[in-house]
Amino acid sequence: MFADIMKYKELLYFLVHKEVRIRYRNSFFGFFWTLLEPLGLMVIYTIVFSLILNVDDSAKGQNIDHYFLYVLSGLIPWTFFNNSMKKGTKALSGSSSLIKKVYFPREIFPVTMLLSNLVNFIPAFALVIAVALIVGQPIYWDQLALLPAFILLQSVFILGLAFLVSVLNVFYRDVEFITNLLLRGWMYLCPIIYPISFVTESNNAMIQQFEWLYFLNPMAVIISLYHGILYQGQTAPLEYVGYSIGITLLVFIIGWVVFKRLNRRVGEVI
Amino acid sequence: MTMEAIVVNNLTKHFRKAYDKTLKGYFISLIKREKRYKEFTALNDVSFSIKKGESFAIIGKNGAGKSTLFKTLSGIIYPDSGDIQINGKVAPLIELGAGLSRDLTGAENIRLNCAIFGLDKERIEEVYPKIVEFSELEEFIHTPVKFYSSGMKARLGFSIAIHIDADIILIDEVLAVGDKDFKKKCYAKMEELRDSGKTLVIVSHSLKPLRKICDRALILERGKVVEIGEINEMIDKYQDEKKEKKAKKNKKGA
Ligand SMILES: Nc1ncnc2c1ncn2[C@@H]1O[C@H](COP(=O)(O)OP(=O)(O)OP(=O)(O)O)[C@@H](O)[C@H]1O
Ligand SMILES: [Mg+2]
Repeated sequence: MFADIMKYKELLYFLVHKEVRIRYRNSFFGFFWTLLEPLGLMVIYTIVFSLILNVDDSAKGQNIDHYFLYVLSGLIPWTFFNNSMKKGTKALSGSSSLIKKVYFPREIFPVTMLLSNLVNFIPAFALVIAVALIVGQPIYWDQLALLPAFILLQSVFILGLAFLVSVLNVFYRDVEFITNLLLRGWMYLCPIIYPISFVTESNNAMIQQFEWLYFLNPMAVIISLYHGILYQGQTAPLEYVGYSIGITLLVFIIGWVVFKRLNRRVGEVI
Repeated sequence: MTMEAIVVNNLTKHFRKAYDKTLKGYFISLIKREKRYKEFTALNDVSFSIKKGESFAIIGKNGAGKSTLFKTLSGIIYPDSGDIQINGKVAPLIELGAGLSRDLTGAENIRLNCAIFGLDKERIEEVYPKIVEFSELEEFIHTPVKFYSSGMKARLGFSIAIHIDADIILIDEVLAVGDKDFKKKCYAKMEELRDSGKTLVIVSHSLKPLRKICDRALILERGKVVEIGEINEMIDKYQDEKKEKKAKKNKKGA
């Protein structure tokens, strides 16, 4: 796979460049425009959950200062995931005019999608760190040093899923619709608006029972890893990090195999 | 060195005629227990070979499977059985708007296609002005392709295909919409390419120019090879067949 992609690096560069340029047509403003969604959501969630539902009172007990920053530091990686999935479903079906007329390795499309979203995500996360410095939130540098590893884990997970949904969406156009629906629910299964201790230290018997299930969701673990950079004690237990790496690799392999199999008929179905 | 540019043996392709490309449709037909697809044979045991430097025409009626054949040759569609050997780099020019991305401008499409066909940066900068010049689209080169007329798309597609250093060029009916001057220019270019040793495979419904450009031809009918032979002979045969059928019809009508 990587040999193939290296052979087409000129093409990959062109496609990523094109995607990014379309988004940043007006460079500086373009960047903030991509932040509009996570920032808007941050304001909404902060109002609803801290002012109305008082989540942040109980969060304060867990050493979570600056609730808005906690929300933002989870929302930015989540937005990376969310946008990648939304774009991922259309990665092939949106390029039908090309796919029908010329052949080149089609895995380039999901990879392009991932790289162009990565280009958005990295400066956005740098902004989170900057905000943390401004409001005086401590930064755990040992965790920050692991940031590339967190990003890599998330990218592999995204790419595996993108392989899967992009090719399925060629055959069944409502995969796009179902993916969008699942993403909405999925967000609440990640520690974004609530601290992870709501799960790990809950008194509710049912939550205790299903804790392991909660952490089988790699995105919950990945978001918690990002949180760990700013908030001590918000990282998922280490054994679950291990599980997540395993599941991520499994998802990647499944996505890749399905993609390769279905790819044979993409040219005629699309 | 092999002498053959393209060798095709017993190529067969079935299409499934899907009814509904949604999961909803899939489940509905599952519940109703209806057959989800009909099979349709688009290519049926097709075999032929084309020598290097040869110009080869493929003629046949609408729906005969000509474009499908080109798509399998260029790797866009996988055949069900049979094998294809291709010696050299292929530039496919399949149907209108070949390989053009609607949202990109003409200039971007040129660069995109050059990258797809493995040209490096330097080479792209080298051929870019030639492509623009040949297409005569200087004025519209920074306009998104979705605002192009069909003839303009054909111009761009043809200009790209002949400049990407391919050894084999597949041309599928792309000149049908070009204006007279451009057609003339393209036919001249094709002869020039043929004389410079490139392999051309041409699908066209305008038979007259084929006589001049091509050496041999293949008649395809409903996915089957009817005959392969010298170009003039094949075209005459193909036209006679048509006339015969027409005559029969007229008789019946009378
Ligand atoms: N992707 C596809 N899925 C299902 N059927 C297809 C597909 N592509 C082509 N067909 C069918 O295969 C047959 C051959 O089509 P093809 O496009 O190869 O014809 P053609 O010879 O190029 O015709 P024309 O002269 O009109 O261009 C047609 O009956 C068409 O309906
Ligand atoms: Mg055709």
